[in-house]
Amino acid sequence: MKRGTRFAYHLCRLLLGGVFFYAGVVKVADPAAFARQVGAYRILPVQGAILVAATLPYVEALAGGLLLVNRKVRPAALVAGALTLVFMAVLVSLLLRGLQIDCGCFNALGKAGTGPSLALLRDTGLLLLAIATYRLRGKLT
Amino acid sequence: MSAETRRILLEAAIILLLGVVLGLSVNYRLVLRTFQDARIPPPWSLSSSTVTARWPAPVDLPAVRQLLKKGAVPIDARRRDLFRRGHLPGARSFPLGQADRWMATFHREFTPATPLVVYCSGGGCPDAFELAARLLKEGYRDVRVFEGGFPAWRDAHLPVAGGAP
Repeated sequence: MKRGTRFAYHLCRLLLGGVFFYAGVVKVADPAAFARQVGAYRILPVQGAILVAATLPYVEALAGGLLLVNRKVRPAALVAGALTLVFMAVLVSLLLRGLQIDCGCFNALGKAGTGPSLALLRDTGLLLLAIATYRLRGKLT
Repeated sequence: MSAETRRILLEAAIILLLGVVLGLSVNYRLVLRTFQDARIPPPWSLSSSTVTARWPAPVDLPAVRQLLKKGAVPIDARRRDLFRRGHLPGARSFPLGQADRWMATFHREFTPATPLVVYCSGGGCPDAFELAARLLKEGYRDVRVFEGGFPAWRDAHLPVAGGAP
């Protein structure tokens, strides 16, 4: 196994894991604030927004944590990639409806506002990282 | 599908499930309360103590009508100009942006036991929730959010005060 592949694998894994772990942890503290942001997307009813706000940060943190500690990397990258695809679909729906709201990706209070276009660009990067992590992990075994 | 792919899919599903279970375990009170408030008919029969102290309970149109009949006060969290164009009969204008300015006046006018129904432009607009959460923090015990907001009220052809019919 080339050292370059191994290096690229760890880099992708740590970046992806770090982003997901951070995104999950910052939203765990205040589910009510995050639920309001989910509600602002105008896709789910209030109960749906609360369910998402109650569970999504934990899934993000769990997948991110596994990637960081290099355990169950391919399943965790799959979860991260699938979540990113869902986020991208939601962001596209925001753009189509002309809603300029903070994506609520990292900050439940929406202080560091990120519009849908920038968030979509960032999610494209995350999706590529997830694919790269998944594939490189396959090459290592 | 190879055995390896099946294993990865299964483990991914387990990660997802674990995250969901963990999140629901930590936030079970918030989730239960929200679903109970939406499910138990009629919501207006709930005593103030069962209404959440931290999270405003969402209510739908039929529940709002019953609450208003029982004397709940509709609170309009939209901007003042939207309020002028039309609002729920008997509603008080309390734009979220002016919450700091008007809270003291609001306290003088309404006791903490007053049942309040906060609404905005519906469709998940966050202002009603923001204001309702703020009112709960300010000590109001019975605060609910009318999810459909003014559009749901108007579209049901219910009487509208102010503005053109």
